[in-house]
Amino acid sequence: MNIFLRELKANLKSLIIWCVVIGLFILVGVAKFSAYYNNPEMLSILNSLPASVVDAMSLRAFNLTTLNGFYGIMFIYFALLGGIAATMWGSDIISKEERDKTVEFSLVLPVTRTRVLTAKALAALVNCIVLMLVSAVVSIGVAQRYNPDQSFYNFLVLEMGAMMIIELIFLAVGLLLGSSMKQYKRASSLGIAIILVTYFLSIITVLKQNLDFLKYFTPFKYFDSAQLFKDGRIEPGYLLLSLGIIVVCIFLAYRTYERRDLYI
Amino acid sequence: MSATIYLHEFRTRLRSVIVWSLSLAVMIFIFYSIFPAFSSQAAAINDALSKFPPALLAAFGMGQVDMSSVLGFYSFIFLFAQVCLAIQAGNYGFGLVSVEETELTADFLVSKPVSRMQIMDSKLLAAFTSLTITNLVVWASTFISIHLFKGSRTYDLNALLLLLASIVIFQLFFLSLGLVISLLVRRVRSVTPYSLALGFGMYLLAAFSGLEGVSNLELITAFKHFDPNYIIQHQAYDTPLVLLNAAVTVVCLVAAYLLYVRRDIPAVS
Repeated sequence: MNIFLRELKANLKSLIIWCVVIGLFILVGVAKFSAYYNNPEMLSILNSLPASVVDAMSLRAFNLTTLNGFYGIMFIYFALLGGIAATMWGSDIISKEERDKTVEFSLVLPVTRTRVLTAKALAALVNCIVLMLVSAVVSIGVAQRYNPDQSFYNFLVLEMGAMMIIELIFLAVGLLLGSSMKQYKRASSLGIAIILVTYFLSIITVLKQNLDFLKYFTPFKYFDSAQLFKDGRIEPGYLLLSLGIIVVCIFLAYRTYERRDLYI
Repeated sequence: MSATIYLHEFRTRLRSVIVWSLSLAVMIFIFYSIFPAFSSQAAAINDALSKFPPALLAAFGMGQVDMSSVLGFYSFIFLFAQVCLAIQAGNYGFGLVSVEETELTADFLVSKPVSRMQIMDSKLLAAFTSLTITNLVVWASTFISIHLFKGSRTYDLNALLLLLASIVIFQLFFLSLGLVISLLVRRVRSVTPYSLALGFGMYLLAAFSGLEGVSNLELITAFKHFDPNYIIQHQAYDTPLVLLNAAVTVVCLVAAYLLYVRRDIPAVS
């Protein structure tokens, strides 16, 4: 419990910065959205298309003249920011002990390594949940100006659920990196590599059809906001895949952390 | 300028330079290897791209440029190369002098018979050399990839040269900005969150300002100062923005020298 509270306090500044960043992002986005909202030009284009085309091209999900369409586009930003934050928190919360040369101290305390890792992981988890809640609350706040209906709230809940799962995946990967890398510096370098590679993969899958299979390697593609909007639920296959990744990473993190040789 | 410090700095960074350069080269190569398939089925692509709303395409820099042309496709890739270059340069900038304090070697270094100006000169020069190596690798891999995959299509060499020449100013911007921020904060614990936030943050802002609407975000984010689409389309830089960018770099460098010369270096007990 002491470790948990200590970690929460140590990460508070970083959490506040991330919350402010994501809040500002939503505010800037909404300022831009106001130019599209009920824009007659875009509406007339949409109305001139047959309904089947609109559905096929998922224009309903990305229809920028509506609040839902705007949040469909915002989703990738939520996912990216959440993913980066979670990776950093996950790897940093473990590797910072070695960086700040406090690791001998924390490991001679009368607690098992498993408990240390659990407390740290829970503190990082709380950070992730707070970040998600802040984005949800700010979103609901700024949406009030546009009289959101029930479908907006449903969609937002779905998006925030998907964002949370992406955060959890990256948090688990970050924890694994923090506990398995022999040198603490490698944990954050590899963290950057994983974020960049997964993000680039998510873009490359769009470019070429036969590269479609790559989407299993990038969490940013597990939850497509157009799909979320159309189905009104998170696809169970990807949910299982995410769960699998999280469980495996957490399991390996505990295993390696228990046997970890300290880098001093 | 001290050769010993320069060489030491260069050597400690060598591994990171190799990894970054190789990753960038591989990324450019892989992305560009899609080009032949991509451009030969232009109709199918336009269809695929039209599945996305214009705002989203604009956010990914795919709005105005013809992606089936040699340079149009390259400018799309270049944006991602810029993200990597920004993070790398930011890493080196943030770590340049702060690493001595985190690793408790700062008092050792400043007690040597070299002035702080000399320390800064050598460190900056070493970082710049490292960045230049990566820069050259990007140049080489660009030309190799384009020539391997362009087939019989032609492209405008001038526009490409302009685009590649922008890398060095872009790198210096993130290097000096990172350096000055690292000197302004009391203590840099870990470099990567800072550089990732700076690089990715500016990228996302630039992607965001692709969406139409009121904002002057172009002024803040370096990705808009060197917008690949703009350079390819106009075969010229957006001069006021590039000047702004260079001015920020110069101010940051001067400020960094002033701050470092007066910096209170904590002694290790």
